[in-house]
Amino acid sequence: MSGRQSYKMALSSYIQRRSFLLRLGLVTGGILLDGCIKKIKSKKYNFSGTLNGPNAVAGHILRDKIKVPNPTNSRNVKILIVGSGISGLSAARWLEKNGETDFEILELEKHTGGNSHYGKNAVSSYPVGAHYTTIANTDDQLLLDFFKEIEVITHYQGELPYYNDYYLTFDPEERLLINGEWQEGLIPDFGVPQKDKDQIKQFLKEVETLKHTKGKDGKYAFNIPIANSSTDKIFTQLDQISFKSYLEEKRYNSPYLLWYLNYACKDDYGQKVDKISAWAGLHYFASRRGKAANSEDNAVLTWSKGNGWLAEKIAENLKTNITTSTVCYSINKTLGGMLQTWVYNTRTKQSSYIIAEKIILATPQYVNNKLLSHIRRPNFDYKKLSYSPWLIANITVDQLPNSKGMDLCWDNVAYNTPSVGYVNATHQNIDITNKEKVLTYYLPLCDFEPAIARLAAYSRTYEQWLDIILPELKYIHPEIDKAIKQIDLWVWGHGMISPNPELIFGKNLKEAQKSIDNKIYFAHTDLSGISIFEEAFHQGIRAAKQVLGK
Amino acid sequence: MNKKLPALLLISVFVVATCGLIYELIAGTLASYLLGDSVTQFSTIIGLYLFSMGIGSWLSKYFDKNILSWFIQIEILVGLVGGFSASILFLIFESIASFRVVLYGLVSLTGILVGLEIPLLMRILQNRFEFKDLVSKVFTFDYIGALLASLIFPLLLIPYLGLVKTAYLFGILNVSVALIVCISFVKEIKAAAYLRNASIISILVLAAGFIYADKITSFSENMAFSDTIIYSKSTPYQRIVLTKKNKVLRLFLNGNLQFSSDDEYRYHEALVHPALQALPNAKEILVLGGGDGLAVREILKYPHVKNITLIDLDHGMTSLFQSNQMLVKLNDSSLLSPKVKIVNTDAFSWVKAQHKKYDLIVIDFPDPSNYAVGKLYTNSFYKVMKGLLAPQGLVVVQSTSPYIAPKSFWTVNKTLESVDFKTVPYHNYVPSFGEWGYIMAMHPDHKYKKPQSYIPGLKFMSRETFDLMLHFPKDMAKAETEVNKLNNQILVKYFEDEWSAIL
Repeated sequence: MSGRQSYKMALSSYIQRRSFLLRLGLVTGGILLDGCIKKIKSKKYNFSGTLNGPNAVAGHILRDKIKVPNPTNSRNVKILIVGSGISGLSAARWLEKNGETDFEILELEKHTGGNSHYGKNAVSSYPVGAHYTTIANTDDQLLLDFFKEIEVITHYQGELPYYNDYYLTFDPEERLLINGEWQEGLIPDFGVPQKDKDQIKQFLKEVETLKHTKGKDGKYAFNIPIANSSTDKIFTQLDQISFKSYLEEKRYNSPYLLWYLNYACKDDYGQKVDKISAWAGLHYFASRRGKAANSEDNAVLTWSKGNGWLAEKIAENLKTNITTSTVCYSINKTLGGMLQTWVYNTRTKQSSYIIAEKIILATPQYVNNKLLSHIRRPNFDYKKLSYSPWLIANITVDQLPNSKGMDLCWDNVAYNTPSVGYVNATHQNIDITNKEKVLTYYLPLCDFEPAIARLAAYSRTYEQWLDIILPELKYIHPEIDKAIKQIDLWVWGHGMISPNPELIFGKNLKEAQKSIDNKIYFAHTDLSGISIFEEAFHQGIRAAKQVLGK
Repeated sequence: MNKKLPALLLISVFVVATCGLIYELIAGTLASYLLGDSVTQFSTIIGLYLFSMGIGSWLSKYFDKNILSWFIQIEILVGLVGGFSASILFLIFESIASFRVVLYGLVSLTGILVGLEIPLLMRILQNRFEFKDLVSKVFTFDYIGALLASLIFPLLLIPYLGLVKTAYLFGILNVSVALIVCISFVKEIKAAAYLRNASIISILVLAAGFIYADKITSFSENMAFSDTIIYSKSTPYQRIVLTKKNKVLRLFLNGNLQFSSDDEYRYHEALVHPALQALPNAKEILVLGGGDGLAVREILKYPHVKNITLIDLDHGMTSLFQSNQMLVKLNDSSLLSPKVKIVNTDAFSWVKAQHKKYDLIVIDFPDPSNYAVGKLYTNSFYKVMKGLLAPQGLVVVQSTSPYIAPKSFWTVNKTLESVDFKTVPYHNYVPSFGEWGYIMAMHPDHKYKKPQSYIPGLKFMSRETFDLMLHFPKDMAKAETEVNKLNNQILVKYFEDEWSAIL
């Protein structure tokens, strides 16, 4: 019986693997063929640009594709933090705030910031990843304190925080290209039939109610961080079905509403409503209860560097603790109960040991899978975590062509297009002299399953990406090709964790959050199930608190 | 000798006469466009032109030999001078001080050359006709040509081609006569090949001028402006258009009226004097916007003022008001004063980077009609600007119309108050704008004292007038509004709503 069972499983996994390889072959083969045709009739563009992504060397070392020299020296540190994205930096900040200074942060890139990385050219800084956050929920004291510390909150007027006027998104904030015209705001309105408007209104009313709903445990149904949300079954069972089934059940069928919800899910999770859980889909709308003295509720904070600005603010005080260009490629327990970490410096091309008492892995779990190949993480299945790939294009234009309706805003979205639109990276500049702009265009690669979309993304050339994004840009702005000076592309293979059904409240994540032997701790947004600044911030603090034993 | 040739020469008379009158009309029209007062301009231009033609006729007796080739050369020359005259006048008008000298110089030169044409032609034809026939034929064609010119000029040429293209077109016709004569009389002319080539090259040059006329002058008789456009230029930031009707100059930035020379004193006196008259020790003045130098002109009336710093985004604007004769006269050479320092940069960034204190800050920005300018009316801007104000200093802000756009006006007031300024709003009537508003602002512990008297020589401001200006009748009464902020830009929305309701 058991033999038969295992045979069946082996067969089904064999078939799954075969079909995966087949689909992968078709997609990447198509790209390769297209590349060859392109080479023959090569098209010339009158602008330049680059195609980049996270450091590939590190990935190759982790997958044993590159041999690195054996360690020649060794150093000791009490606490080692691997990864200098927001969660790693936040953990380090918390350690330091609590008097713990004996720690080192390892970063494989040349720069800190992780997914909040940013770029810069002659016109402006621009995000290549996470680019905004919202004002803190009124009950999120840790985040409020942090914002006060870095003067994102300048002072309090009575109870209400006064946010820095230069960081609150300037008006005009959002516009949507729909039915041939730019309307203000992203909720479809211009030329939308009344019955669709009614359905949109009904949905928004429903999530507004959910926003103020609490569970039996007295906690909000949807909160940030997710860990502070109610665990009442009424709500958590929404995590077991897809957002799409939820909407079908509630008879939401307006194409305009569904477009808007798909847009929202793509924007925050990199996937459409069919792939993510209903709980995650509703969380987007029902979890924010931020208030400020000088802005409307849930106002957005942004910078030309995107969240790279926030990362730099945290990193400012930690400079002496950060080691960049260093890949951590293996972690082992020593006989003395210490942790021996093997690291390779991509600049000096030398390896070292770092002996630490405790380690915080502020790295995604698919990386930890490689790092901890000698250490068991019982009951945790890495394969169940899925990450959405993204393409980010930073488009430098000398002047944006005029178009009908609302003027250029910070966030500019077109109805029924593949991307989630572009943000104007120069929006927060007070200087009005420069007509040149950098537009950061976000394309979630959600048309295939993530693993295939990712490998397809890795195999595309610069020109092939242009063939994908230029038609959409020209649809949005017919004259834009004349204005383009530069397009820099960035591919995130694992852009963000995708909150598929049964992830957020499933057993797997709970196991993943557990430390190993009170020595190895974990801090990353993929442990929350959604990839937003606040989750990373709290993940870091949670891990740091565990390390400090509080 | 071919029988056709005399006929050809008579047609030349016709063309030459038409061209001659067209040049005269162009010069007269241009002069009245640019200098105003069309009766004087037309009268002097016609007089000078006819007199120059007389000189030309008198000079004709000194041409003895090779009359045909002289005629051809003069035709080419008339074509070139006449063809380029309009372009030259438009191009130099902006910058040259002695515009009249160039204008009358060109008119005289054209007149002399045209004056030479008919006598020379008559001498060419004298052996081919009897004298009475000759006189009758030549003058008939001459006057028919004049009639044609005077009819097509206002009816066809100006509306469809404009001045500049008309000039080029008739330049081409003029040179074409030269070319045709040159080819037809090739045996009788010395150096015919040279003259033919010169004609062809001249035609090509004039044709190029015709094609690129719009680019050369960026001038168009735009129907959007009721007055005549005498200057227009697109700088990187805005389109500057200067119009003139009779003696009244009007400046438009992106189509919005900035001032009208007949009543701008009402605006600029009201903007500057209520504040500066109350600051007898003011030395350091900051002007934001106001690249026309008219506010600076008012400020310079106070000898105790030591330094004026003017921040205007647009170099095209400040340099125009430093160099153009009419505009320099209007602002009393204020932007050329050694007390004035001009910085062409973005005001918000500049103010943010400064630490020096100013006794008076005059804010004369364009109206908040778009999100870019709207930033300069926000609490964030006023906060940093406040840091530059001396403890006893005053700020004055042009704040759009409290009558047409009361919400906009009171939003500026509310926004100034929101950053802890004490304010004194006031208004006056400027005929070309309508009822206009200003807001004076100061540190909350500073007490503003109304001036008891004003410096002599003002045309509008006085103690009694200011008392009236401080009163807001019911139809402009204080409206409840929000604070204008970078993250709401509420002013731009109010402004758009209120002004679109009346325009």
